[in-house]
Amino acid sequence: MRSIDYNEQLEHEVLAALRKPNPWYWVALVICALLFGMGLTLWIYQMLKGMGVAGLNNPVGWGVYITDFVFWVGIAHSGTLISAVLFLFRAKFRNAFNRSAEAMTIFAVMTAGLFPLIHLGRSWFFYWLFPYPNQREIWVNFKSPLIWDVFSLGWVGSLRQWWHYNRLYIFLAAFATPLVISVHSVVSWDFAMSIIPGWHTTIFAPYFVAGAIFSGTAMVLTLVIPMRKIFRLEQYITLNHFEKISQVLLFTSLIVTYSYIVEFALAFYGDHQFEAAHFTYRLLGDYQPFYITMLICNSLIPLTLFFRKLRRSIVYLFILSIFVNIGMWLERFVIIVTSLAKDFDPYSWGLYTPTMVEVGITVGSFAMFFMFFLIFAKVLPVLSITELKEEASE
Amino acid sequence: MDRRDFLKFLGISSGTAMISSCGVDKANEKIIPYLIPPEQDVYPGKPVFYNTTCTECPANCGLSARVNEKVYDEVRGLFPTKAEGVKGHPINNGALCPRGQASLFRLYHPKRIQRPMMRDNDGNFRVATWQEAYAYVTTELQAAKEEKKDNLYFSGRTTGTLAGLIGRFCEEMGIERLPEFEIFSHANLRKANEIVFNQPEVPHYHIKDADFLLTIGADILETFVSPVSNAAQYGEAVKNENFTWYHLEPNLSMTGLKATTRLAVNPHSEIYFLAYLLHALSRSDIRKRRPSWAIMNMVPDPSAEEVSQKTGISAENLEHLVSAFFIAKRPLIITGGVSTAQPGGLEAALLTALIQAAMGMNDTVVDFAHSQNYEKVGSMLDVQELLERLRNKAVGVIFISRSNPVDDISANFNFVEELKNARLRVGMSDFMSASMQECDVVLPLSHSLESWGDAAPRKGIRNVIQPAIEPQYDTRTEGDVLLEIMRTASGQKQGPDYNQYLIEQWHSLYGESETVSLIENGYIEEPVSPLSIAVDTRSVESYLKNTDFSREVAAQPVLIITPSIRTYDGRSKVLPLLNEIPDPLTTVTYGEWVSVSAVAAKKMGLKDRDEIQISVENENLNYPVKVQNVLPENVYMVQRGLIYAIKTDIDSRSGEASWYLDNISATKTGAVIPLPILSGSMHEEGRGILSSHESVVEHSEHYNEKLKEEVDVEEERIYPKHPHKNYRWGMTINQDSCINCAACVAACYVENNIPVVGQKEQLQGREMSWIRIEPFVRDDRDIEFTLMLCQQCDNAPCEPVCPVYATYHNPEGLNVQVYNRCVGTRYCSNNCPYKVRRFNWFDHRLPKPWDKMYNPALSVRGRGIMEKCTFCVQRIRAAEDMAKDEDRLVRDGEVVTACQETCPTKAITFGNLMDDSSRVSQIARSDEAYRVLEELGTEPAIHYLRKKERKSEA
Repeated sequence: MRSIDYNEQLEHEVLAALRKPNPWYWVALVICALLFGMGLTLWIYQMLKGMGVAGLNNPVGWGVYITDFVFWVGIAHSGTLISAVLFLFRAKFRNAFNRSAEAMTIFAVMTAGLFPLIHLGRSWFFYWLFPYPNQREIWVNFKSPLIWDVFSLGWVGSLRQWWHYNRLYIFLAAFATPLVISVHSVVSWDFAMSIIPGWHTTIFAPYFVAGAIFSGTAMVLTLVIPMRKIFRLEQYITLNHFEKISQVLLFTSLIVTYSYIVEFALAFYGDHQFEAAHFTYRLLGDYQPFYITMLICNSLIPLTLFFRKLRRSIVYLFILSIFVNIGMWLERFVIIVTSLAKDFDPYSWGLYTPTMVEVGITVGSFAMFFMFFLIFAKVLPVLSITELKEEASE
Repeated sequence: MDRRDFLKFLGISSGTAMISSCGVDKANEKIIPYLIPPEQDVYPGKPVFYNTTCTECPANCGLSARVNEKVYDEVRGLFPTKAEGVKGHPINNGALCPRGQASLFRLYHPKRIQRPMMRDNDGNFRVATWQEAYAYVTTELQAAKEEKKDNLYFSGRTTGTLAGLIGRFCEEMGIERLPEFEIFSHANLRKANEIVFNQPEVPHYHIKDADFLLTIGADILETFVSPVSNAAQYGEAVKNENFTWYHLEPNLSMTGLKATTRLAVNPHSEIYFLAYLLHALSRSDIRKRRPSWAIMNMVPDPSAEEVSQKTGISAENLEHLVSAFFIAKRPLIITGGVSTAQPGGLEAALLTALIQAAMGMNDTVVDFAHSQNYEKVGSMLDVQELLERLRNKAVGVIFISRSNPVDDISANFNFVEELKNARLRVGMSDFMSASMQECDVVLPLSHSLESWGDAAPRKGIRNVIQPAIEPQYDTRTEGDVLLEIMRTASGQKQGPDYNQYLIEQWHSLYGESETVSLIENGYIEEPVSPLSIAVDTRSVESYLKNTDFSREVAAQPVLIITPSIRTYDGRSKVLPLLNEIPDPLTTVTYGEWVSVSAVAAKKMGLKDRDEIQISVENENLNYPVKVQNVLPENVYMVQRGLIYAIKTDIDSRSGEASWYLDNISATKTGAVIPLPILSGSMHEEGRGILSSHESVVEHSEHYNEKLKEEVDVEEERIYPKHPHKNYRWGMTINQDSCINCAACVAACYVENNIPVVGQKEQLQGREMSWIRIEPFVRDDRDIEFTLMLCQQCDNAPCEPVCPVYATYHNPEGLNVQVYNRCVGTRYCSNNCPYKVRRFNWFDHRLPKPWDKMYNPALSVRGRGIMEKCTFCVQRIRAAEDMAKDEDRLVRDGEVVTACQETCPTKAITFGNLMDDSSRVSQIARSDEAYRVLEELGTEPAIHYLRKKERKSEA
């Protein structure tokens, strides 16, 4: 058992982050706020002009917006998982990350929730997606995976509650884990329920859940490493913690790599002409650079984590986490765009290039996320003091 | 709150509600009971049809203008909103081509000349009054006469009453009427017919009566003389099981791809084949009538090997062709288009005429009695003569009417400069074309849908031209202009207008009752005196004496300049719809391009859109490339309708302008030019979109068996099967008779208010067509086409994914799109395997005044909404309402979709699949039927009839 001093020191150091911010903080916050504002402006511009300001076209009806949506949902869910699953497994190393991971979840859900609206041709009628009572009894279509999304995202929002209590925490953690898995499965069904080669496959649910944990863990690293440095939390978030989280990263990387292999195997073993043509295209076609980059980021680079030395190198982990973030964003992009670009009828094949509006809105979404995270870091203790104390007392 | 306050609030709020509900806006709206229709037989919501004539090209098909009553700019009025063919018309029988369908874009074109214009002293155009213009022209005519200069009248092809009136006008005013100007003048064909038969005419070909058709170069289904008539006849002919069609061409045309067998020939080698055929005929035992003229000795007699070597047709194919031709009961040979518009074109046409005579076709299928009224059309020789006179400053006033010679011939002649030598140039046109820019007085002509008139497309047919709308601008018909100039010259104040003049003419020709039927039916068939056609051996002999047949095959590579099905000779280029819909063979929309054979492209490392430089002598032309499979290696193609700037040779004997440039060189420049090519890939890779033996077998095994045994597959489904009540609408498309002319595409745009989005959007892949023609290469030897539109699937993949039920399956089997409900997730489009759904990326309203042509029966969709083929649901509803009033079900054939209505070959059938006796059900049960991507289990409502197997050679 450590001394009272430890507890005081802990409080002092963790809470130090809540003191008056230095100018750099303000600069970062203002930049994020401005970029977020730019994103909102572009969205309004898109609503006034029409969806055509995005680069979408006839075969490729979904692009960067849905990529962003899946990316942010993935981030959100992995935050939940880190917090809840590791809690259930009594993985003590999570204490160092859980507060950030939870904050990340909330902000990522907020960001993710915007994209289904942004991508609507008529965003102003978004409420038609809810089964609200109305006189003409116009109902929503419960067969549509997009409606399943509406409900699943609704659930994620309510998870905010497990912010608080230990007791409730266990219950919520037990409740949240299957929920995360099911919710992310629903997101994957947005694709798997279609008949488009490259989307229509049964492995999508586990594939997406693993992908979500993978990308979320990477995002946690991206956020925590600078935070640890800036707030001088080295004592509480230790190398051991990082090593463990990078083991999670490595494990999920292996799962997604396995999924990549299975996708191809199914397509060619199944001897299905359209599937085979699609996966040939994904590997060798117009979007090949993206696919190869994705493979390098998601499957090759994480293999280096087999080396203990690298697992314990903070700088290396930070760089790696950036690569994984990029790789996972590209994974969703490649799945969405290549599947649509060349489907059944060769006449209607076409390519998609994102426009500046889409890039701007994506940048805006990152800015929004980081803006909230910056605010969070100043308003709430970034580490859960009680949990750390409990951990220390055991 | 006490009771008193509550009552106060209640009083105020209900009072405010009452006041606000009596808004000022609503009070301004006048509601007039519709007791007396504004015009006879006009009832609200019910369109009226006026039968008139299409003037988009010289074929002059019967056009039936649908006029709807609607509110435009807050004024109620009558507007033509759709062009259809006149039912039963001897030329087009209810059909129109894409140009005809798009002709409303000309009527409402914002760039039409709206009032008369004259040049002021600075040389700029100013608005003038008609009287001013007439007075000026009359004085100038007089002044020119005093200067002893010739006054000339130069016009496009003119038939009917107007031709007579121009004659009278020229006579009275002392004007010389020049031969009419058409760039596609068929000069070699007419010259040959003159030499052989003394008939300087283009005959009427009875394709439907033929059991064996041999076409050489003539693109009969695209632009040749009267393409809709040809196509309609082809639709009839192809019903005959034994109908065989060979097409020989140096290039690649859609017509050729439709033939039973297409044989590519070396450029300029057609005469060897024709000479061989003529001599083979004289040696053959099969035909009773063998040509035994002495002149036969003057025609070279090449051996089969020599022909094979010169033309590139294999000896085997040659033998097949010749024997099939000889044993046919009613063979028909047509040479034209690219094979007559070449240096040896006159010989080719002449040999063809001799073969026609020898086979006795002139009594049956080659009909000079009903010839195409081209006798007054001149040739390039006449243009040369005109230029000579202009150069010698011998021309006073020149009228240029309904033609655009500056664009058409300026590549060959310095027409603009020579035209300046005339004393005065008077232009009559609807557009400020390049030719009108050179005129001093520009008199705007009314569109044919605003005018009275008539036309004689071929001998024995008189079409009426009648207005479907009041003239929208200060324009006149050409007839009125001529009558008024004559009156101004003679100082008369009053006189008959052209309408009265016409009626007098019709009364004198047909009598009063026939005149009424002419106006009602849109046409009248007159008896023609039979002609006895015989070969004038003496004239042929004297011609053959001076002819050298030993013409060498063209020095390759060659550039061939063909007419375009979309723009004809270029005159329809101004219509935005024809730029918006793709050229069916290449799927290029906006812009100019060179078609390069796949073989040559591979050798030069060219891809689609790479720039290529074509060099001829000292001229260089730069265009983007469209790689064209099946095109012979050394042939490059451009479309004349899109490209004017190419100088070609003129045959000094007939005045035919060649469509060829020999001995060109082509080099890749390295630049890439954006060119909208709508096809993502020309290679179908056995995906089951084209018909194949397997798709038909699979269809009959699975679908027909299921039908017969009524196996219920209920247990296999998650969701229950859609119930259908009374109707399940379905369609069949006959791939054998479909000629891929794109008339349906154009008709669909106009009927359904589909936005025209322009080049920029098309480059992004955002075309909006609900129906499209997809070309696919088969085995690198052939290109087949398929018509793709919403398949109205029973298990539609688009339906379950829509979160808001904006698309759902209605009880009549239609896959309905509810525009108001759509929020624009685009999931339906993603999930559609046929990719026929179209998203409105922006608000694309037609600019004024084009929006006058919007069909009031359906909405114009705003941004953010998905749309697609509805099977013309507005027409279905109209028929159902009618049936409901009469307390019955809709009869078979009562609903006609826009694509079906305009189809020249009647390839499309529409009707109720639940009614076993309907035509569509019967055709759908045919052994040749299949459905596209059947294996996906979407259960489409569209059945395709397989294209029959045929041979082809690259």
